[in-house]
Amino acid sequence: MSVIVECQGVAKKYRQGQIDVPALRGLDLALEEGDFASLAGPSGSGKTTLLNILGGLDRPSEGEVRVDGVAITSLGNNALADLRLRKIGFIFQAYNLIPVLSAAENVEFILQLMKTPHKERRARAVEMLKAVALEGLEKRRPSQLSGGQQQRVAVARALASRPAIVLADEPTANLDTKTAEDLITLMSDLNKSSGVTFLMATHDQRVIARTRRHIVITDGRVSSDERRDGAAA
Amino acid sequence: MEKLELLLPLAWRSLWRNPRRTIITVLVVSVGLWSILVFAVLLEAWSASSRDTTQKMMTGEGQIHAAGYLDDPTIANRMAPLEGALADILKSDAVKAYAERVRVAAIMQSEYRTLPITLTGVAPAKERAVSVLPDKVSKGRYLENAEDDGIVIGRNLASRLKTRVGKRVVVLVQDTKGELAERAFKVVGVYAASQQIEDEFVFTGLDPAQKLIGAGSGISEIVFDSSDAEALPSLVDKLRAAAPALDVQSWETLKPLAYAVSTFFNEFIMMWLGVMFAMMAIGIVNTQLMAVFERTREFGLFQALGMRPRLVLMEVALESTMLIGIGVVIGAAFAVLSVMAFPGGLDLGFLGRGAELVGAGRVLYLSIDISDFVRYSFIIWALGVCASLWPAWRAAHVSPVMAMARA
Repeated sequence: MSVIVECQGVAKKYRQGQIDVPALRGLDLALEEGDFASLAGPSGSGKTTLLNILGGLDRPSEGEVRVDGVAITSLGNNALADLRLRKIGFIFQAYNLIPVLSAAENVEFILQLMKTPHKERRARAVEMLKAVALEGLEKRRPSQLSGGQQQRVAVARALASRPAIVLADEPTANLDTKTAEDLITLMSDLNKSSGVTFLMATHDQRVIARTRRHIVITDGRVSSDERRDGAAA
Repeated sequence: MEKLELLLPLAWRSLWRNPRRTIITVLVVSVGLWSILVFAVLLEAWSASSRDTTQKMMTGEGQIHAAGYLDDPTIANRMAPLEGALADILKSDAVKAYAERVRVAAIMQSEYRTLPITLTGVAPAKERAVSVLPDKVSKGRYLENAEDDGIVIGRNLASRLKTRVGKRVVVLVQDTKGELAERAFKVVGVYAASQQIEDEFVFTGLDPAQKLIGAGSGISEIVFDSSDAEALPSLVDKLRAAAPALDVQSWETLKPLAYAVSTFFNEFIMMWLGVMFAMMAIGIVNTQLMAVFERTREFGLFQALGMRPRLVLMEVALESTMLIGIGVVIGAAFAVLSVMAFPGGLDLGFLGRGAELVGAGRVLYLSIDISDFVRYSFIIWALGVCASLWPAWRAAHVSPVMAMARA
């Protein structure tokens, strides 16, 4: 298995008034192609900071991060934007769909940024929405979809660009139990069928139980990294 | 094209996410532009009216006098009849029309009153080509030829003298020998114009006027209109060169107030444009800043998903371009409708007398100058888009992490 994401000695400090507050303290981590991993830890342990740095949304204070072979710490804003577009898919807790675009257009948005030809991107959007069981709802705006349906659109959007890794921040936090379980099953199936690496920051034990790798961060460092090939399917 | 395909629907739909705010901004822009365009039309109409009133009543586009006449307009400062190079130019294609006049200060006496006037001897056929007064006769008739010894007086003068068509009045003038000369004239017509002109000018044939004052074939002035108003300065230069002993002046010099009013209006339009734009800019910047602030998270999301900051700037700028564009189209359309609502001109009604006092007509004829409309609309649109670049820049520089962290 090739390494998709690699962190070496990653540290991040935030300035609060006169004090530097460390969020990550020399974290080392490697995610391999096809990983279906959960990231857990107490509040303030640095989960979201790590996701932001892996996703190229934030820069580490120290250390090196490589995504699909690209050292992202030295990239400029435009190159980082391109990297996010082509290599990384995001799933947010609050869905974060673009409210003025329909479900299909939200998926197409990424492909438009990638300058995919019109026919191809429309077909891909339909295909992705079908994969997340939203066939027939392509023209609905986010406000016309339930929370679970919106998160499915977000999953479809995250996978539309065929990224190297999907980063999900508390993807089930706003969903009811049944919808959350359906979403986990969906992501697990997509991971298996597409081979895309998933890293999900979560407190949700149902999500943790279904992942094949479980990483725990404590005080800005990886305190546990457990591979569970026999995780619940 | 790809960028537009991506940004256009996004910008258009985002525009209508808050319809009330969009409508208010569109209203600000459209009312502002409407006022600029309608003001420009009104001021241009006023300016044209003022120019026409000045030129078409008595002044023409230019006049020729004997040296010293403008300082001392008596018959002593008269000119010889038209001849030589001067005549050649006045009869050339460069001149649309010209007319000779005798013009002297005089006293007019009726059975009831005696009032000061300016006696003007004219050749009616030529006078009609340089002045609209012959067509302003409201009672009786105008003069028929240069030998006509009837007299045409203003409506207000007739009222003050308590005279009317068919009655006789006596005119007293100082003749070329410095003696008082008098003659009774029959009132053949009464004309209507501005009160100032009605009170001052009375008209008779050129021959009877010359005889009364003993001027022989001498004249006081030649009034002329050029064939091309743009070429008036060069025409004046040619006439000066042809008759260096005479005083040739354009209407700008003869009527400096009317000229100043005409040029001031152009500057006033630009001032008004500046004031309205400043007001609109405040509204546009405020609205767009509010929109950007409310959508900070969304702009952060765009960048998180891989949209480059420059595209975010273009998206917000495109929203402003469309927003202001809608306002400009509506404002311009209403301005056109407003002007078209007065096909027969805008009658100033009770303000008419006041307008006449400052040299304009009672009726302002409104017309749309397409180039002005396009120019002012484009200026407002372009300036509005420029004003919105600051909010757009702010949107493009939203930090994705900070934006995504916002509730």
